[in-house]
Amino acid sequence: MNLPISANQLRDPLARRAFIERCAKISFGLTVLPFFTRLAEAAEAPSAKAPNASLPGFGKAKRVIFIELAGGMSHIDTFDPKTGGTKGPAAPISTKAGFQLTDFLPETAKVADKIAVIRSMTAKVGVHASAAYLMRTGFEQRGVIQHPTLGAWAQHFLGASSKTLPSSVCVGRSSNHGNGWFPASFSPLPILSPNDGLQNAKSFSDADTQAKRADLLAALDGSFGAKAEDENVKAYNEFYDSTFQLMKSTDLKAFDLSAEPAATRARYGNSKFGQGCLLARRLVENGVRFVEVSFGGWDMHANLEERMKELGTDFDRVFAALIQDLDSKGMLDSTLVAVTTEFGRKPELSGNGRGHHPLVFSTVLAGGGIKQGIAYGSSDAKGYAPEENPVTVGSLHATIAHAAGLPVETEILTPSGRPFMIGNKAKMVPGLFA
Amino acid sequence: MSLPLASWFPTTLACLLMGVIPTFAAKADKSVPAITSVKPVTPLPVVSPANAIWHVWHDNQGHTVEAMFCGLSGEFITLQTRNGQTYHFNGNILSPEDIEFAKDCVQKMRASSFTQSNVTSAAADIDRIVESVLTAQGQKLNAPATDEQFMRRIYIDAIGRIPTAAEAQAFLSDRNSDRRAKLIDKLVYSPGYTMQMFDWMADLLRVKDAFAKGIPAFTFEDWLKMRLATNAPWDAMVKEMLTADGRLCDNGASGFLLFDAEMPLDGVANLMTTFLGTNMACAQCHDHPLAEWKQRDFYQMAAFFGATDEKDEKMIGMVRKAVAKDEGIPKNMVKKIADVNAFRLEDENRQKLTFPKDYKYKDAKPLSLVSPVLVTWNKTDAALPIYKVDTTKPAHLRSEFANWMTSPQNPRFATNIANRLWKKAFGLAVEEPVNDIDDLSKSSSPELLAHLTQIMVSARFDMREFQRVIYNSKTYQAAASPSPDLSKGPYLFNGPVVRRLSAEQVWDSLMVANVGAVVDNILLRRGEDIKQMSLPKGAITAASVKQAYENMKAVGMTKGALGKAGGSTAGLATGYEGEKPKNRFGMLLARASELPQPAAENHFLRVFGQGDRLLADSSTNDGSVPQVLMMMNGGIGKLVSDAQSSAIVAALAEKTREAQVNTLYLSYLSRHPRADEMAKVNKALSNGLGLTELAWVLANTREFLFVQ
Repeated sequence: MNLPISANQLRDPLARRAFIERCAKISFGLTVLPFFTRLAEAAEAPSAKAPNASLPGFGKAKRVIFIELAGGMSHIDTFDPKTGGTKGPAAPISTKAGFQLTDFLPETAKVADKIAVIRSMTAKVGVHASAAYLMRTGFEQRGVIQHPTLGAWAQHFLGASSKTLPSSVCVGRSSNHGNGWFPASFSPLPILSPNDGLQNAKSFSDADTQAKRADLLAALDGSFGAKAEDENVKAYNEFYDSTFQLMKSTDLKAFDLSAEPAATRARYGNSKFGQGCLLARRLVENGVRFVEVSFGGWDMHANLEERMKELGTDFDRVFAALIQDLDSKGMLDSTLVAVTTEFGRKPELSGNGRGHHPLVFSTVLAGGGIKQGIAYGSSDAKGYAPEENPVTVGSLHATIAHAAGLPVETEILTPSGRPFMIGNKAKMVPGLFA
Repeated sequence: MSLPLASWFPTTLACLLMGVIPTFAAKADKSVPAITSVKPVTPLPVVSPANAIWHVWHDNQGHTVEAMFCGLSGEFITLQTRNGQTYHFNGNILSPEDIEFAKDCVQKMRASSFTQSNVTSAAADIDRIVESVLTAQGQKLNAPATDEQFMRRIYIDAIGRIPTAAEAQAFLSDRNSDRRAKLIDKLVYSPGYTMQMFDWMADLLRVKDAFAKGIPAFTFEDWLKMRLATNAPWDAMVKEMLTADGRLCDNGASGFLLFDAEMPLDGVANLMTTFLGTNMACAQCHDHPLAEWKQRDFYQMAAFFGATDEKDEKMIGMVRKAVAKDEGIPKNMVKKIADVNAFRLEDENRQKLTFPKDYKYKDAKPLSLVSPVLVTWNKTDAALPIYKVDTTKPAHLRSEFANWMTSPQNPRFATNIANRLWKKAFGLAVEEPVNDIDDLSKSSSPELLAHLTQIMVSARFDMREFQRVIYNSKTYQAAASPSPDLSKGPYLFNGPVVRRLSAEQVWDSLMVANVGAVVDNILLRRGEDIKQMSLPKGAITAASVKQAYENMKAVGMTKGALGKAGGSTAGLATGYEGEKPKNRFGMLLARASELPQPAAENHFLRVFGQGDRLLADSSTNDGSVPQVLMMMNGGIGKLVSDAQSSAIVAALAEKTREAQVNTLYLSYLSRHPRADEMAKVNKALSNGLGLTELAWVLANTREFLFVQ
């Protein structure tokens, strides 16, 4: 097994923990040797002692659904309507809350009192891949290191979130090194197609053959497993045991959308995004802590009105359904939903579309202790630059992390000895918490 | 600077053993103490470089072709023609004289290597050093591994897969005393060696089918496979990569530097880690907090690449302009053609790297031009002859740097590769982590590392010879140790460490059990496809771009992100030479090195930890539940349970049940079943299970996944 550190590096808290966790093999929610994990936690300041723990909203979000509108959602045509020369094809509409949206989002308007719109997001990167990386990790993309998602940070500070299910899942996208410098077992489990659920969960053999094979496997492998003192062999023994358990377990149902009532399925709709958000809700309901849902197609250089009617309408319906569903299940207070995108779009129309615009754009946070029914920060009259309370991507990450009960100002060392903090030292935004 | 050391901080063994390192060398003083061994090691002869063997080959129909001999495996021969194209085919089409000639070539290639007595004495020196270190700590070498254990280990390490039942039987029935040395030689000279080295190196060199810019990099893969097949020395390979000129379609070796095109600083940080085990990434942005590197050191080093241009911006404009009015070529294809032709390595007459505008130290001015200076690890390094480089000609900076880096005198180059290859064989490096060996006194055995460095230099960076020495040592051939708890002190190599097979080794072992040894003759070479996209030198015209587009269409490169060669499974299957892979249960049955690089994220290989190749050393051996689900219920589970699989076919060729079970055990676990196991299997087989279910069971044992 690769041990990426030498003994003398074990003085680094992260390296030591990573090492201990490699021995303890936490993966897919399974802690093989709880003793070691406790040791690892004791070796570090528990997150409850974090400097931000005493600030409002700390730790209210037990789970996070992190939506990525890939391509760059136009802020002016969605959450930050303008009336002047840069107004888009849609008219502003009033909402239950004190702010307006465009009429591409009528359903979202009905849940506006549950959400906080951030209209002063600001960044510098206008290239898709780099900007999406920044939004996903809170760090600028580099060629020499991979940064983790918030799900991996959370697993580092809080441990695994479930006994049988993974702590992080990404829906409709690949995991793309989401563990960053943390162990590979922190990488989110990718579910490429929400309807198909967890791959290979069912045996291709009949029950009788399955049982006989399992018995023979146990009988033959016992000698090797028991004789080997190797921690990694023991870990694999546990993986096999827990896989057999999982295949029998009701937790598998978390991945099965067909178990959802027809009315709920209808509310989310049949689009991939709708199914993805419904799966996300089922997963967080069953113990997964961090779910990314990716929804592509927002790069509207042309035909913006037509595309918004299509994608915007899909988003609008699904997002509103998700908020209402979480609310009616009493989960909204403890579930943070973030709507993110890599950048906004230019105030000036070019043809019938808009170009990339990172200088100001909008994101949305809802639930998990976030103030409800507010628009935080603002852009100028054209929607060109932030005017009030600019929020960087790092700050957005620090804010979500704070809500999730993570120590945002605690420095960790990577296995190569480099110090990092969640959100790259950015401050969380206190004004977003009630 | 000094760092607080925890009270349990381990003391290096070297200081106890040799008394030459009184305390830890402080960070500020990187001088490595002279290593005095207990007894001087036997000097090794320097191997002579292997000469390429060119020959005009005749087939049995009277056709001829001039080509270089690359390798012979069973009946299959690999040749390379002058244009760089490789051919892999069944040698039975050659004239009888040429079949004999090919066999002679194999002997000639071996003649340039160490003799068996050289290997034996170098291996004995390794053993002596390891044992003296162990003895000083009151430890012993593990007992020798059994023949069964040794066989499985050497197959996996040397050719990346387990043996077939027939191969296993052949070795286990050999009673000659030199059978282990013979097997080692047989394996390191077989095609599986190239495949195995490719997998290992693909992780180190970040081999990807497409770089971030979407340019297919198949020629880099072909180049690497060819250089490994001809056993090119490591220093020559690295020099070729660092000094490569031109586009990927002209020169596959340019792929290494073009990976980091438009991020040249990251590129320099990466190559320092890959080739020298030096972690300078921090110093890219600020003085290194833990080591001696200053930001200025980093920039001075990077300046050696400051005259190298990676993107021909004019080319992009010319291509766009040439086809401006042509509606016949889709825009994304125009971009692809432009990119493939624009990204290239070319040295200019001006070194352009300046210090960053926010440079905050007093040792240089922001935005001032950087003068190239080589990095040192030790105060005396700068006096070495290799540090006398000519920095007056910007266009030659890169080659000056490459000469310095790949020299046997470079303070880290030989040590880095020796340390990495040791880890490959033993599961742990002498100095961990392999990507940060700046302070050699911190290695678990500085003397061993120095000796391995010396073997590497004597072998003239011949990686095959180096590994041959390691494989012949008693240390390598000892029983494996469980993964050591490094918090209790460094591991001193009582034997190799028990480890899970790498993703590629698990996959390739499953392939050989289900396809047979012929899987080593299925070769994927896709470089020709991207050559179709190259534009002729000179003015770019609408016609030339159109021609490139038509060429792309003809080879299917316009479909999907990478065209046929990187797209669908069925499309990929058309890109093979030699034998063709079967497509079963949605999987192409070829070795990992002969599949997309890296495999798709939901492929068995990636689920088992094949790296995404965004960073060097990105693969892992960690376990997960999805892996187990895949083994039990996925396509692989179905494949091993398939009556057509070669392991089952081989078993069914036996007449008695015992012999059938024995063959399946050899196919999956490379050993005979014990009596108690035979009894349990017999009982299960009488109780309704068949051989296909037994194959499933054996593939799902931990013993299958691990190498002892």
